[in-house]
Amino acid sequence: MTTNSLPRTNFEPWRAWLLYGLLGLAVTVVLARLFSLTVLEFDLRMAQSDDNRTREISDPAPRGIIYDRNGNILARNVASYNVVITPASLPNDIADVQRIYRQLSQLTGVPVNSGTVEDAKLFAACVPGPGIAQLVELGASNSPYSPVPIQCNVSEETALLVREKAMDWPGVAVQVEPVRDYPTGYLTSDVIGFLGPIPAAQVEAYEARGFVARRDKVGYSGVEAYFQDILSGQNGQRVIEVDVAGQELRNLEPPISPVPGYNLNLTIDIRLQHAADARLRREIEGWNAYLGQMRISSGVIIAMNAKTGEILSMVSYPTYENNRLARFIPAYYYEQLVEDPRKPLLNQAVSGRYPPGSTFKIVTALGALNEGIVTPSTIVETPGVLVLTESFSPNDPGREQQYVDWIYNRGGVLNPGGFGSLDIRRCIAYSSNVCFYKLGGGYRSEIPNGLEIDRLEQYARALGYGEISGIELLGESPGLIPTRQWKRINRGENWSTGDTYIASVGQGYVDATPLQVLLSASVIANNGKFIKPTIVRDITDNEGRVIEYWENSDGTLTRTPADEDEESRRISPFTPFMHWDITVDPIIKGYICERGFCSETGIFKTVDPAAIRIVQEGMRRAVTDAELGTLYAVFNPVVNGVVRPVSYAPAGKTGSAEYCDNVAQANNRCQFGAWPSHSWTVAYAPYDDPEIVVVAFAYNGGEGASVAGPMVKLLMDAYFELKAIDLAEQGARP
Amino acid sequence: MTILVILGITMINSSIAGNIELTTTTPLVDRQIIFAVAGFVILLVMAAIDYRIWGALSLQLYIGIIVVLLALNIIGAALFGSARWFRTTLVFIQPSEFAKLVMILVMADYFAKRLHLMHDPKWTIRSFLMMMGITIWVILQPNLSTSIVLVVLWFVLVWIAGLPVKHLIGYALTGIAVLSISFPLLVEFEIIKEYQLGRITNFLTPVDPDDLTARYGDRYNIDQALVSIGSGGLFGQGYGQGPQVQLRFLKVRWSDFIFAATTHELGFIGAALVILLLAFIVYRCLWAARASPDAYGALICYGVATLIAFQALVNLGVNLNLMPATGLTLPFVSYGGSSLVANMIAIGLVESVIMRRKVIES
Repeated sequence: MTTNSLPRTNFEPWRAWLLYGLLGLAVTVVLARLFSLTVLEFDLRMAQSDDNRTREISDPAPRGIIYDRNGNILARNVASYNVVITPASLPNDIADVQRIYRQLSQLTGVPVNSGTVEDAKLFAACVPGPGIAQLVELGASNSPYSPVPIQCNVSEETALLVREKAMDWPGVAVQVEPVRDYPTGYLTSDVIGFLGPIPAAQVEAYEARGFVARRDKVGYSGVEAYFQDILSGQNGQRVIEVDVAGQELRNLEPPISPVPGYNLNLTIDIRLQHAADARLRREIEGWNAYLGQMRISSGVIIAMNAKTGEILSMVSYPTYENNRLARFIPAYYYEQLVEDPRKPLLNQAVSGRYPPGSTFKIVTALGALNEGIVTPSTIVETPGVLVLTESFSPNDPGREQQYVDWIYNRGGVLNPGGFGSLDIRRCIAYSSNVCFYKLGGGYRSEIPNGLEIDRLEQYARALGYGEISGIELLGESPGLIPTRQWKRINRGENWSTGDTYIASVGQGYVDATPLQVLLSASVIANNGKFIKPTIVRDITDNEGRVIEYWENSDGTLTRTPADEDEESRRISPFTPFMHWDITVDPIIKGYICERGFCSETGIFKTVDPAAIRIVQEGMRRAVTDAELGTLYAVFNPVVNGVVRPVSYAPAGKTGSAEYCDNVAQANNRCQFGAWPSHSWTVAYAPYDDPEIVVVAFAYNGGEGASVAGPMVKLLMDAYFELKAIDLAEQGARP
Repeated sequence: MTILVILGITMINSSIAGNIELTTTTPLVDRQIIFAVAGFVILLVMAAIDYRIWGALSLQLYIGIIVVLLALNIIGAALFGSARWFRTTLVFIQPSEFAKLVMILVMADYFAKRLHLMHDPKWTIRSFLMMMGITIWVILQPNLSTSIVLVVLWFVLVWIAGLPVKHLIGYALTGIAVLSISFPLLVEFEIIKEYQLGRITNFLTPVDPDDLTARYGDRYNIDQALVSIGSGGLFGQGYGQGPQVQLRFLKVRWSDFIFAATTHELGFIGAALVILLLAFIVYRCLWAARASPDAYGALICYGVATLIAFQALVNLGVNLNLMPATGLTLPFVSYGGSSLVANMIAIGLVESVIMRRKVIES
């Protein structure tokens, strides 16, 4: 409009207005965005900011120590020294850093440079490979205030040298890390077990209880696993403020101190454990060397206090070295253990299932006596070969089959007369198969009605077969006591008379763990009382005070009994626990059997103490009968031409359990008369007031008396010797 | 003038405020104060000098800055992967900051003399080539963000000078065509670097706001900026109290992300104040442009307004995650001596224009 404004700014005004508009719009957008972030998203962003600066730190609780019954340490925590570098504390001068690296490399042997930082990322902490410079560079880029392990588990000497150099080597330090140590190693590994990282599937459950997934370890087997919650303690917790480099600045909340795990005192006597292990190894490895082949692949010895159920020793061969799994589980070693067909990781004493063989005759004898099938004075004819009918139903005419006694063919000499006329005591002492075939399945008019599988099962269960015992170890197997129904379901076939015959001598479908065989003898030894086996004497806190603990019927461990009707049992301090007394508790289901078929009476019965006494006499006679007692030679050694019976008066039962598994089949051994057999012996002593009951088992060991018998004897020798030493020591004390 | 002095002091204060929050040992604060004081003196000197003198020195300025940039490209110190600084005994000088000023002065002079010839594409194209004469050396440093600022300065001045709209459309189409053909080639020959592309992809990748797992990833800086801004709330964590800043979770909090740091500690109120103060400076520049006694002064003022507004908006946009990460700082507030002095000089030029207005009107 006005001419004098034109020469100054003769721009078109709309061009400027467009500029203003754009600017105004931009400022509005920026302000709106600012408002939305600061006001609308405040809570979210504040939480993220807090998340940045707060960190929860878990202080590890020391794991409980495991002792044997005399206070010897079986599992403990030892300091492991790691040489670490805190990147942020290294000197600023590169030459200084290089000097430290070089000197440290000379001391530890870790190269200064090896590979690239990218390579170093692929290595887990403590695994050798990357050079010092690469480890530090990687650590510095992640969090410069966290120590980077350069070398783990260095010797104490190296650790001291590094500490002395603290002034010259700023940033280099020694970190002490607790590592589980098992002074007794493989000797107790089957009982103690080992630790491993928290399994991925359980990480959440453990983290909810304050565990740290990649740091804390949990028990994988043995008592380490069974008492995991008691041993582990409770991790401490702190909430701290950190800066961007991860440097700890202050506690934001009052810290919670870690609660150490409780200690465990086991019933194991490490001296007896030594004896058992030495004997088992010597026997198995001796026989294998003698025969020039891997004949006996595995074996078990268990010794238990007969009255209280305390397990004094428990060895399972082959086993593993749990110290090799302590720091981390090496893949090659673990694979070696897992792929070994002999299953070294398994505690065969409670997890192995084998036919109990003749040791099972204890059950048949007790049942036959209690059901009145035989009386103590009945004489049973026991020829060397018995022809019996195998039939699957009352109407099945069946086919005849030969059943051979072990005496029939001894070293090529045929013995058609067998044992001749035996009473029940000698049936047990001589372990006559023919006698027990007759008792179990009946024989013509001589024994018109046998025990049959229905009643056999009842007595087997009464003596502890077919059910887990409740010992404080993981993976206990219930074994198997077959029934007619079981066979129909699992084999699709009727129970046959032949099944009964061979079940009567602990063969066929009958399966048991070495522990169950031990327990069956202990019930007899205890006059019918079935004492629960246990491995724990008591649980103490870190000041040695005994902590009361109860095991409830659902398997949980609590400080006070949780079950109402006195089902909970106190495991700490140790109190013997009786499952039942077969002479008092009516736990045996009554049956009436007629011509091989049984029907329930609906009445539950107890066992006559007299029947138990006869079985005891039979087992004692196995040791004392110089003629044919199966354990006579074992417990009555000839020294310089003179028979020297052992001083502790044992009673026992052997077993040679024929089996046919895939290994035997491959060797073409599954043929009549050529079957391989497991060697068993179970015995207790002294027979009139039993203190100890021992079972020995050797896989493919052959005859019970020749392989397992000597193991039992040696362990009993050791036990009574140790007892004498302990008594002498106690007597010596004022 | 008095308003601007107060504003200047506020700016210096706030820039120092941003820097005091630092816990680093390098004397960033002291340096920034020195630059601020020096800058303020230069501002007054520039205001006192008649801006028209720069029009006469246009050619010398143009050649001078090209020589300096060329020297920098050949012998300049390589810092952070780009040759942007001159290392002197005392301070680093970043010539590209001054290239922006020269660009304003040279282009303002050029267009002021050719206001009536803008319908002829010849002059526009020639100005474009002149602009590229400076910009090419900045691109080669490489400093993409500053080159973009230079192009934007040129464009706004062309626009104000009266570039016909139909020409503009023609240039735009040509530009798009050229870019779409040359872009793959630029990437291929690494003129556009991979990290620059990465910033764009980072920006385009949708983020779950709950997911801060990328603690050290490529998105770390911008994520932490958002956390810092958001956790500032309405009133902020308090000066010197913000954990994001004090515990150093926010990176480059003294320069690129000073706005995030300010919001974190002073809140929405403080941040809005900063924005409004910057808006006021820009407004004052635009007002000066309209009050300018001649076209040259007006174009200088438009240029300075664009310089401050564009850099500020881009920086705010980056802080608020409205655009991809760039290296542009927040004028007056961010740490950076050359940038502060250059911006002070720019304000000095505008003040000079305002002072000459009085002379002419009276």
